[in-house]
Amino acid sequence: MLLNRTSSGGRWRIRPDGPAKVTGELTYLTDMTKEDMLYGLVLRSEHPHARIISVQTDKAKQLQGVHAVLTYMDVPGLNAFGIAHPDQPVLCEDRARYVGDAIATVAAETLAIAQQALEQIEVEYEILPPVDDPELAILDDAPLLHPQGNTLHRTAFNRGDAEEGFKLCTHIIEETYYTPRQMHTYMETEGGLFVPGDDGRLTVYSPTQHGFMDRLQLSRILAIPQSDIRIVSSPIGGSFGGKDELNVQPYGALLAVNTGRPIKMHNSRWESVRAGLKRHPMKITMKTGTDADGKLLAHQVYIISDTGPYSTLGAEVLNFATEHVIGPYRYEHLDVKGVSVFTNNGMSGEFRGFGGNQAIFALEGQMDRLAERLGLEPWAFRKLNMRQLDDLGPFDQPIAMTEGADQVWDAVSTSPLWLEREKIPLEGQSAAEPWIKTGIGAAFTMHGAGLGVGIPDPAGGRLELAVDGKIEAVFGYEEFGQGLIAALEQMLIEQFDFAQEDIRIIIGDTDVVPDSGSTTASRATAMMWKSLQRLHTPFTEQLLERAGAIVGRPAEQLRLSEGGVRKKVGDELLITYGELAKAEGEPIRCETSFVFPTSPTDRVGAHFMYTYSAVAVKVELNTLTGRVKVLQQYHAVAAGPVINPQGFLGQIEGGSSMALGFALMEDAVMEKGHYMTRNLDTYLVPTIADQRGKIEVQPIEHLPENDEHGPRGIGEVGSVTLAPAIAAAIHQASGKWVTKLPIDPSYLQETPFFLSKAVNGE
Amino acid sequence: MSDKAAEVQVPFQLQCSVNGELKTIAAPPSTRLLTILRDEMELTGTKRSCEIGRCGACMVLIDGRAVNSCLTMAYQCAGKQITTIEGLSANGLDPIQQAFLEEGGFQCGYCTPGMIVSVKSLLDDKPNPNVDEVAEALSGNICRCTGYGGIWRAVQRAIEGRRYWK
Amino acid sequence: MSMNVQETLTSPLVWHPQTAAEAWQYKQTYGIHSVFVAGGTLLRTHWESGAAPMPQHFIDLSAIRGLNEIRVGEEGLLIGGQSKLQECRTNPLLQRHFPMAVDAIRSIAAPSIRNLATIGGNIASIVGDSVPALLVYDASLIWYNGQTEQEEKLSDWLLAAGQSGYRNDRLLLSLKLPLKSETSRGDRDENSTNSKMKRFGAFHKVGRREAFTPSVVTAAVSGSITDTGLLNKIQIAVGGGQTIPRRLIEVEKEIVGTAVDGEMLRHLFDRALELYEPREDVFASASYRKQTAANLIVTELWKASGRFIGQGG
Repeated sequence: MLLNRTSSGGRWRIRPDGPAKVTGELTYLTDMTKEDMLYGLVLRSEHPHARIISVQTDKAKQLQGVHAVLTYMDVPGLNAFGIAHPDQPVLCEDRARYVGDAIATVAAETLAIAQQALEQIEVEYEILPPVDDPELAILDDAPLLHPQGNTLHRTAFNRGDAEEGFKLCTHIIEETYYTPRQMHTYMETEGGLFVPGDDGRLTVYSPTQHGFMDRLQLSRILAIPQSDIRIVSSPIGGSFGGKDELNVQPYGALLAVNTGRPIKMHNSRWESVRAGLKRHPMKITMKTGTDADGKLLAHQVYIISDTGPYSTLGAEVLNFATEHVIGPYRYEHLDVKGVSVFTNNGMSGEFRGFGGNQAIFALEGQMDRLAERLGLEPWAFRKLNMRQLDDLGPFDQPIAMTEGADQVWDAVSTSPLWLEREKIPLEGQSAAEPWIKTGIGAAFTMHGAGLGVGIPDPAGGRLELAVDGKIEAVFGYEEFGQGLIAALEQMLIEQFDFAQEDIRIIIGDTDVVPDSGSTTASRATAMMWKSLQRLHTPFTEQLLERAGAIVGRPAEQLRLSEGGVRKKVGDELLITYGELAKAEGEPIRCETSFVFPTSPTDRVGAHFMYTYSAVAVKVELNTLTGRVKVLQQYHAVAAGPVINPQGFLGQIEGGSSMALGFALMEDAVMEKGHYMTRNLDTYLVPTIADQRGKIEVQPIEHLPENDEHGPRGIGEVGSVTLAPAIAAAIHQASGKWVTKLPIDPSYLQETPFFLSKAVNGE
Repeated sequence: MSDKAAEVQVPFQLQCSVNGELKTIAAPPSTRLLTILRDEMELTGTKRSCEIGRCGACMVLIDGRAVNSCLTMAYQCAGKQITTIEGLSANGLDPIQQAFLEEGGFQCGYCTPGMIVSVKSLLDDKPNPNVDEVAEALSGNICRCTGYGGIWRAVQRAIEGRRYWK
Repeated sequence: MSMNVQETLTSPLVWHPQTAAEAWQYKQTYGIHSVFVAGGTLLRTHWESGAAPMPQHFIDLSAIRGLNEIRVGEEGLLIGGQSKLQECRTNPLLQRHFPMAVDAIRSIAAPSIRNLATIGGNIASIVGDSVPALLVYDASLIWYNGQTEQEEKLSDWLLAAGQSGYRNDRLLLSLKLPLKSETSRGDRDENSTNSKMKRFGAFHKVGRREAFTPSVVTAAVSGSITDTGLLNKIQIAVGGGQTIPRRLIEVEKEIVGTAVDGEMLRHLFDRALELYEPREDVFASASYRKQTAANLIVTELWKASGRFIGQGG
């Protein structure tokens, strides 16, 4: 059944955070102010690559109203940050490696004064040639950006012998695919409020996707214990991976500690573009071969990823891409290599899909090309080579078994949109307007959830009966719009029979929440589900036993319900949660902690849980202009039970809109290390007019009988499968194969047919 | 130069109505309305994002029409009726807000006040807009989370809801 | 606080002239330290991006009497330069007589911007997307030069404005669109003497997304074809991006009076490629822009001609 409001019935709920959002009452962390606060700004490098000869701050410090001008010399602890490998300087010492590199930071009484102070800081640069091409950056004669060289990370995975395999192939497709520097474009730019307390502690109100990681990183920078830092990280005006890494926090924190005053920071859009993360641009070369019947024999891949100046999660993104260029198919021989390369371009990092978007665009492109070469229907070709139920994962690792691949394949193959494909005339030409061509294409994905083998991936949470009688659910996760609070509320209502009013949800505050791990990698909902599964029995027992003792009945005869505890039979409310909370006794409280399930393998980055998706899409190509419109989409998503229908639908629709932008228009163009897209007048994301087509979402909830992992993640999968489906649809429409995103209209443009006929005298 | 024109107010004071209340605000005449609303009046429902009119997060109504408050300068607001998102729900939720809640026309919520203001402007002008008119009216409001699916549904529901409540 | 650095640094004075003469006087007084401000939307974009400094004096044009009106004058429709784009977009007279101009204005930014931005500002930017449509309607501009009102053909002004070092201190008062029966769109015209004439016209804006996009190519085509298939009238204008819009007068002259067939369209296509000299940027090459404009223009004529198939050879 398609997922929508009607089909969801009573499970379609109004989000608990909704009323404050639609009325504008919700205070985002960048809306906060405090008396006595100062304004913080950061001076960033003018050049993508330069030696810093000197930084003179005297003039700036002398300005009236300036309270601090800090350089690297003022960083008390580690002058570096980075989730995986801290190598990005908080404040540059002797070298700037990109146009977002921070050199100094200023706190002043007004923004104008802070700006003036930045202008008064004199930086003497020796400009160095920018290393802006990752392919040149790894050559021996390239200038070194880091002492260990310009290679951040290399990956390789082999099975069989690919070279031998190709000798056996009847059909071989070789192609190179290029993907853009996509920007997250969260509507709320980075910022927050940094408040030093009278007790010597620092409270950081600033968006992040993992409060505890920010706390750890800031404690290293400030050289103070983690316990002296409190991170409040929600609500967030969008993140999509982009706010997982530190952004303004080091500067706000340093300035707050240095001045003893609250510091407000809120990036302008240009500051956000310049300093912030983007999706890794990748060049992916593939050589894939089959036998005469279409059975995949050999698959060879080389990924080169432009990771920008510093590590952040560049290596992990490459690991993910390496796994996902193999994907849900069977090959005899595999030879996959990848390299993530330092350059003086913008910072690349974590972004919804995490390297899968690039990988799947390339991989699915190969499948469509091979099918055409073989004269096979592209979907049938996939079936022929698709992984089977108990196959190992892409890295030959054990994975949580599901029938997802078959399920989403079947769903698309019987979807009306896919069936319409056969009816589209050759090259999709419209009779009335022959320059308009339509096509339908489809693509297929298995997308890993969780951080994968080799990265600590804690999970957990807490339930307790608060003194005021509220059932508190306390998790370390963050709400950045994805609907985490709504999902948690719905699970508490459906699994425990609480009423909405009985529940208080507490997230995103390191002083009160347990470390539930990061709110990333499509993991949070699955981990909340798992936590509640583990907490269900002990928490219920504690509540019922206490209630039983008070009302004088055995706990076995009681049940949790809306408002309080009732008899198992009958509706009578025996005791409210409020009364229960007032009763004598130890606090009623259960906590669980565990780790995200991982595959028993040594292969770093290998995943254990996967979501499967398949997408069919119909596009319209105007060959006069070369422009493509997406007319209709069908998404089948096998991710286990739908926890929150509205949230599920929103994640797939929203993810697919990002994929539409990735395919058709988005690219933070850089020239010689400088951004050409400084704001939303040149960096274009889809508008409502680009999203007029119908989108149908088909969730496939069925899991194998003994599955104990429950819902798989859906936060990212909506964003990874659409782009290759669009490319396939364009091929049906035009006969042309797209290799580069965003699609260049000039490639699809044609001279009107009536001109060529006239000239040819036909 | 005529005397009249020379009477430029220094310091300038903006007099206008904000959410139905007459206000007098001392601010340089080129100050953006966005700044006045957020900093002077603490009406933070009006959001800051691109600051060049390309995202719609700062949308407000001026004399009933949707306008980007980041592009509007104080002097341009003199004598005008300004309505922010806070003003829309002064007497309980507007049916548009209710529709956004019910259909899930938001996720992170940062674009939502501006989006709702634009819908309000549209429906007050055209109670039964067609799809083209909706697309045109909302084309200046970027939502990065929803892919606009919930927004399309919310607008449709708001149209029906307003019809019902008439 | 919303952290706008620019505005907190400078607080320009805003002058509110009531007449064009006053406005002009302010400009004389403050010279390069001043700027005429209509809606201010484009200026704001420049200030925010650092492309231009915010000057010390704003000369607010919105209060000048008579510049907010759209009315029928003796020689055509007069549109005050301070008319908001959204007023133009919804104006019944414009919709009826100048539909391509309305289409063009509809494609500019979004309604909220058009509620602030003015037609005068769009034209004064030289590369505004309304300009190609206005060109095919033979629009004129009415300027105030400090002493008197001057009328100048839009096409002439664009030629001058395209010269390097061009300076213009004049104040744009209004825009004049000649009212002719020919200018109404397509088959809507009931004029019996012209009943055998097939009229056509279209404005195209090609950008990088479906709405609210900077233009890559703009093209406006308008004309009529006789019942014997001869091109009776033709006006073609192209622009887009930072390209100064222009009429393709040269080829208009070459093809008017000839049969609309494959040969003619091929000629038109080739000449459009030659004559249209778009400025390229990192987002779209000149060759893409040329091909797009040529494609759109010939296709309009092909549609109007009754969609012959390959009889031209």
